Amino acid sequence: MSHRKQVIDLYKTLLHLGKEYPSGYEYFRSRLHNAFMKNKDVTDSEKIEKMIGHGQYIVKEVEALYMLKKYRTLKRRYYRDNQ
Amino acid sequence: MAGIVKNIRALSKQTNYLRSFATRSLAVGVNNKINRPQQSLVKSTLFLTSTQPMQSRFYSPEVTKSKPTEQEIKDRVLKVCSSYDKVTADKLKLESHFINDLGLDSLDHVEVIMAIEDEFGFEIPDQDAEKLLRPADIVRYVADKEDIYD
Repeated sequence: MSHRKQVIDLYKTLLHLGKEYPSGYEYFRSRLHNAFMKNKDVTDSEKIEKMIGHGQYIVKEVEALYMLKKYRTLKRRYYRDNQ
Repeated sequence: MAGIVKNIRALSKQTNYLRSFATRSLAVGVNNKINRPQQSLVKSTLFLTSTQPMQSRFYSPEVTKSKPTEQEIKDRVLKVCSSYDKVTADKLKLESHFINDLGLDSLDHVEVIMAIEDEFGFEIPDQDAEKLLRPADIVRYVADKEDIYD
């Protein structure tokens, strides 16, 4: 898979995940777009690999965030007064 | 006498069964015939078994929905494109190039394609998405997917 494809794939994945982001989709989207545009001139293939790796780490983080959010919501429903 | 009662009972059972399937007029016709003498009862049962009741079929919406026309696809594609915030609506035409004419970058282009996917409800593979650089290309691609020939 070429780097371009990988990057676009990553962007799509992140964009899809961002739809439920707590501070809003627009917020997530503009930040994501800026983060990708900031590195648009990087040509070193090793650096690109590293950044794609970082992007995949972010994907995991966002997933973890959603799971934590779900867990907290459920917990709140079981224990009303935050014991 | 007992035989007649049995017949009637069997018939009324059958009418109940039929009523759940048959059209209203058929069910009413059977009801009328119950009150008549026995020989017509036999006739009516014969009549009923020989004609199959019409059963309405329920297809999934995927099958029954009509194909969109080409004009409809054009309108929908343009609507999706113009609703993207970085596209200026007055510059947008079917032939305008997303990157050269409308000033989007490739990431914006990915977002537009994702919006199109959401609108038409199917996924566009990456290698196809790269080639869809004008709204006209998208219209043609969607029309191919939906089997519309012009």
